[in-house]
Amino acid sequence: MSGGWNTIESDAGVFTDLLTNLGVKGVQFEELLSLEPDALAQLHPVYGVIFLFKYPTNEPYRGTDKPLDGTFDYDASERLFFAHQTIQNACGTQALLSVLLNKADPSVSQEGDAGYIDIGDKLRDFREFTIALPAEIRGEALSNSELIRDTHNSFARSSPFIDETQRRPDEEDGDAFHFIAYSPIGGTLYELDGLQPAPISHGACTQEDFPQKVMDVLQRRIARYDASEIRFNLLAMIRDLRIRAREFADEDLLASEERKREAWRFENALRRHNFVGFAGEILKGVVSAKLVAGGSAYDDWVNQGKKKMEKRAAEQRARKGGEGEDVEMQG
Amino acid sequence: MPISPIITFKAGICDVDQSSKPYKVTPQARPGYIYLYSDDDFIHFCWRPRDAPADEPELDLVMIPEDGHFLPYDTKSPAQASAKTNGRIFSLKFSSSSQRHIFWLQSKPQGPNGDPSFLSPRDLKIGEIVDKLLQGYEVDVNRELASLSSSGGSNRRDDGDDETMEDVEGHGDPNAHHEGGTGGAGPDATGGDVRREGEDAREGGADGARAASATNAEADAAAVVRNFLDSLKGTQGLAGGQAQAQAQGKSYPLLNDLLEPSVTIPMLDSATDEYVDNLLNYLPSTVIVMSQQGASGADAIEIEPSAASVEAARQTMSQDQKRALLKKVLRSPQFTQSLASLTIALRDGGLPNISTALGVQVENGGMVRGGTVPLGGGDAVEAFVEGVKKTVQKKK
Repeated sequence: MSGGWNTIESDAGVFTDLLTNLGVKGVQFEELLSLEPDALAQLHPVYGVIFLFKYPTNEPYRGTDKPLDGTFDYDASERLFFAHQTIQNACGTQALLSVLLNKADPSVSQEGDAGYIDIGDKLRDFREFTIALPAEIRGEALSNSELIRDTHNSFARSSPFIDETQRRPDEEDGDAFHFIAYSPIGGTLYELDGLQPAPISHGACTQEDFPQKVMDVLQRRIARYDASEIRFNLLAMIRDLRIRAREFADEDLLASEERKREAWRFENALRRHNFVGFAGEILKGVVSAKLVAGGSAYDDWVNQGKKKMEKRAAEQRARKGGEGEDVEMQG
Repeated sequence: MPISPIITFKAGICDVDQSSKPYKVTPQARPGYIYLYSDDDFIHFCWRPRDAPADEPELDLVMIPEDGHFLPYDTKSPAQASAKTNGRIFSLKFSSSSQRHIFWLQSKPQGPNGDPSFLSPRDLKIGEIVDKLLQGYEVDVNRELASLSSSGGSNRRDDGDDETMEDVEGHGDPNAHHEGGTGGAGPDATGGDVRREGEDAREGGADGARAASATNAEADAAAVVRNFLDSLKGTQGLAGGQAQAQAQGKSYPLLNDLLEPSVTIPMLDSATDEYVDNLLNYLPSTVIVMSQQGASGADAIEIEPSAASVEAARQTMSQDQKRALLKKVLRSPQFTQSLASLTIALRDGGLPNISTALGVQVENGGMVRGGTVPLGGGDAVEAFVEGVKKTVQKKK
């Protein structure tokens, strides 16, 4: 049986390093802060986008036999690399692989530059092994792959919270987060969601059309959510920007990309780190300082902490009072 | 004639003068037991001083089922914000008459900061058991008490040292009439002092957080009454609300509230060089090495830097650089997230392990007092911070 999978953050730095550690060359992620097609277009070549959103766990995810947008392409289920999701926590990596493993064969691509990624030997082996299998079994193979699982887990946080809004211990939230991928493959825009029975086709789409078309689809999707529900995240899978910087001898771009990489490495090192010892020392330092200050300093400090917590609880209650029903998942 | 009590627990009795309202209640300092036993038809509600034998109670009330109720007083109802008692009060009331008997729990209070009027889940459970028995229910006392020790409600009757029984005894099947008194706690339980009552926690005089001397006990008891009388004047809410709050434990800030950058950065600014150097040991080595390398072109998979390269990096770092690096870490979302995880771990029963790992001494080793379960919720976080405080104080 497959071992445990831990949750990972939807962070460009995490995903980029994840790919690199899997042996992929020349690919990075970039977070998109808007649904402007231009913002995506300028990151060319773009292989696909990963969309992260919250869905309610008290409703079934798949209620109907047709998707609310697009059509199921059962044929593509075998032809493309498409895997049913078997493990909740693996869905980030699964979405990522569903773009990656469909860019490995240039012979079926119509996407030019963006149709081929050097996925490295290990993933090539994995792809060869799984492309002949049906979708459910591919999902099993993915969750059983030690390489993929171990790499995934090496980026896991020790906390159970998956998203960057950093849910606090005192919050209550019974919703799950889900990752899906969109990618132009062989001239068609596909939505790849391991919880759906098959890839969803959104029609013909060239590489040049992709930014506009995918943003249209996403706009429609977001419009189906409650207006107050804004917890989603969009990551573009693109070619390493430093390659372009070198090609065009763009020193500024190269320097800023290197700085970004450095920041990612710093963050990833912290993510992997067990902070218990450090936290203990910091707490000792603060307590010591409060005792040295004397008087009511220690009690004031604890009381200030209480106030912050109470303020947050009040804000939460106010928010919850205003929200309507849980988001209806219609995708 | 030997009786076989169904439940016994430490409690003091009060004199109640019902000739005028509000009732005049005078607690007696004498250490005693409330205990219930059943003869063929009726439950008996009894009180005796602890040095008296079980068959010589000073109070022996024959209870008709459903006639009596044994209920705690809510001393924290908002209307009586100032009238907090410093004791845990229960009263025995009757539907058939206005007669009232008042008692005060004499086991050590489990309240946070030694709050003497705090009714712990166990206190409330005892009251509940007695009340149920008075309604005529059959209660498996051992099981009821044991269910407090573990959230799963598993029966810990077979545990060797059942610490929850120190001040409460459940004596097996209430309907079994045995000569000579048998039952879970053994025949000596009611008559003698098999348990280590001589020890501090269970010292008769020390119970209820009172000093060993009788006069102090009386003074405390008097204070109990003063507040108790005030509470009688107003609403007499029951313990429902209090039980609610206790289910979640004390409200105490999260570690991320206590260790926000607004607190930690100034602390670091005024910290000594030794503290800074020591703190660096707790950072991931990659981060230290990176700080000296600057942005390099490597897409490297993170290879753990050797101890030598870490040491080399540290040598070249100035104090300013060290502090700047530490501040960057203190401000990072990853550190904040780790504090959130650590808080969860403490709240979920990790206090004993974590405090041991960090060399922090916490009260009772991080366990619920008198119990075998780790503290949880806000209580655990508070115990941890308080433990750090003591540890720091000891070092000075």
